[in-house]
Amino acid sequence: MNVVTRGVKNAVRSPLKSGAIVLMFAISIALILSMLVARGSVLAKIDDVKANAGTAITISPAGVMGDQGGGDPLTAAQIATIASTANVSSVTSSLTDQMTTADTNLTSSLTLGSFGARQQRSAPTDTTGADPTATQTTRPAPTPRISVTGTTDANSVSTTGGTLTISSGTAIDGNSSSSVALVGTTLATKNNLAVGSTFTAYGQTVTVQGIYTTGNAFQDSGIIMPLATVQTLTGQPGAVSSVSAKVNSSDNVASTVTALKTALGDKADITSQAEQAATSVTSLEGIASLTLAGVIAAAAAGALIVLLAMILVVRERRREIGVIKAIGGSNGKVIGQFIVEGLTITVIGAVIGLVLGILVSGPMTTSLVSNSQNSTSTSTSTTGRGGRGGFGGGFASAQSQLNTNLTQVTASLTPQIFLAAVGITLLIALLGSAIPAWLTARIRPAEVLRTE
Amino acid sequence: MLTVENVSKTFNTPGGQVQALKDVNLSVKTGEFVSIIGKSGSGKSTLLSILGALDNPSTGSIIVDDTEINKLSGGNQTQYRAKKIGFVFQQYNLVPNLTALENVMLALEFGGYPASSRLDRASQLLESVGIEEDQQQRRPTRLSGGQQQRVSIARALANQPAYILADEPTGNLDSATGKKIFDLLHDLSRSQKTTIIVVTHDLEIAGKTDRTFTLKDGKITTK
Repeated sequence: MNVVTRGVKNAVRSPLKSGAIVLMFAISIALILSMLVARGSVLAKIDDVKANAGTAITISPAGVMGDQGGGDPLTAAQIATIASTANVSSVTSSLTDQMTTADTNLTSSLTLGSFGARQQRSAPTDTTGADPTATQTTRPAPTPRISVTGTTDANSVSTTGGTLTISSGTAIDGNSSSSVALVGTTLATKNNLAVGSTFTAYGQTVTVQGIYTTGNAFQDSGIIMPLATVQTLTGQPGAVSSVSAKVNSSDNVASTVTALKTALGDKADITSQAEQAATSVTSLEGIASLTLAGVIAAAAAGALIVLLAMILVVRERRREIGVIKAIGGSNGKVIGQFIVEGLTITVIGAVIGLVLGILVSGPMTTSLVSNSQNSTSTSTSTTGRGGRGGFGGGFASAQSQLNTNLTQVTASLTPQIFLAAVGITLLIALLGSAIPAWLTARIRPAEVLRTE
Repeated sequence: MLTVENVSKTFNTPGGQVQALKDVNLSVKTGEFVSIIGKSGSGKSTLLSILGALDNPSTGSIIVDDTEINKLSGGNQTQYRAKKIGFVFQQYNLVPNLTALENVMLALEFGGYPASSRLDRASQLLESVGIEEDQQQRRPTRLSGGQQQRVSIARALANQPAYILADEPTGNLDSATGKKIFDLLHDLSRSQKTTIIVVTHDLEIAGKTDRTFTLKDGKITTK
């Protein structure tokens, strides 16, 4: 029997006491690992959200959101101002409209439903205003409408923020004024449209150049045409209902928003995903701080548990330590024995704690994030109200998706996090064992006789 | 030869300084069996702990076989205790979670005895003090007081020490068992020429030793 075997044997000398210490230590290690995993995952998510928030700034005429609200469309001069603003690398302009059955020979692929009917009832149809009561009775029955987006870049309609998926045909040139269109896949199916087919819009014949698909039922029932074409067809030359400006770097988004607000004044509403993302990740940053505090608290608790337990052990075995020294045991052997004992307890506790931590870190991260996001979405729900929207509501839908993504934080235990947890555990073990071991060195063998 | 020259020992206590030993002088020849008697608090245990290098005197010197042990470094004093001294305590002081055999092997380890022959040596020693094979595997709590003291003596003998220092070795035993333990120590003294210094308050035991020193209020009054 040597120092190591004596130390290990002493660690299991009192199974109940050692078991309790191991359990407490294991819980603190599990907490450390869970908090590290939660922190790592949340920080990764924050980076991800910020990186993917993009550099897009959306500029709408003041008071307009999609097809709702009131005000004047953006003018060509304002578009030029936007395009010439520092750090703006590209500008995509859009004008949205809705075709009724009088405007087109196409049939909407959307069912009206109670929501659509309510929306149309709220729109005034009697322009004379002579008899409000009579208006109610002469109003035509609501019919589903077809959304039309005129844009300089068809990709701006993509719900993913990337390139619009063209399932057949080719993309349109947004800067042309041709009577061509991309038709959403469900609208095309509903009206038996294929590439090369034609349909009537605002009294003009338009040729289908491609069929696009986004996976979004609303978007896939719409039509995309070049901006100038829609402006001409709807009799709104130069009018733009939404502009998406790309900034050259995410670092310049905030300053560009400020510059645009100064340049456009109260004529435009300006929002950026980066700003929204920064607000959205505030709660995640709160979790990251909370988990860091949790790691520190759990590590301190773990160290204190081992420290106090080992100090108690040393106090209990004061006489035994004196005897070992009296019969020729060196300080080194006594200290070694106690360090091995402390390490044995911490290693057993650490293994149990790490396994426990791996098991609970996923649910704990999910719980932390979802609780936090629930409270955030309640408090910010008023800011996300976008109305009916049309394709101009793309930004609102992107923002909604951003919020949804925030709750989808996946707890992932990386080797770095695992090594950090093991490192903290070793530090705790050393701190918790070294001080009591040092105390053993101070016990004088003469105390064996003196206490008799 | 063990010589104590002008040894005094003072302790600092909350109530002030206490002088446990006052200018003690004595010498013990090799192979001698001596006893130190005195009332409780007379300084017997203090003297024994100084002789065993468990403590250092405040003044004076302890010379063991031409070595002034109180001037040795901590590490050398540990070596001195491991190889030259065997302790027998009143309360046996066996390590509770080790078996009788392991307790003796522990002393052999500290004395630098080869690991391969520790088991045989420990078993042989325990048998020589009357601890049977099945008792050797027991922990101290499963042995009687007399048996524990025998294990304690076997442990003290493990490294063939030149000196055995026994502090009230029969103090916790009934008279019959106490006599057996004393006889065991006496036989050792005779057969192995081991110098034995016994601290006791039992005058009958003291009477059977070669010489008796009497301590009173920290001073040697009778040699």
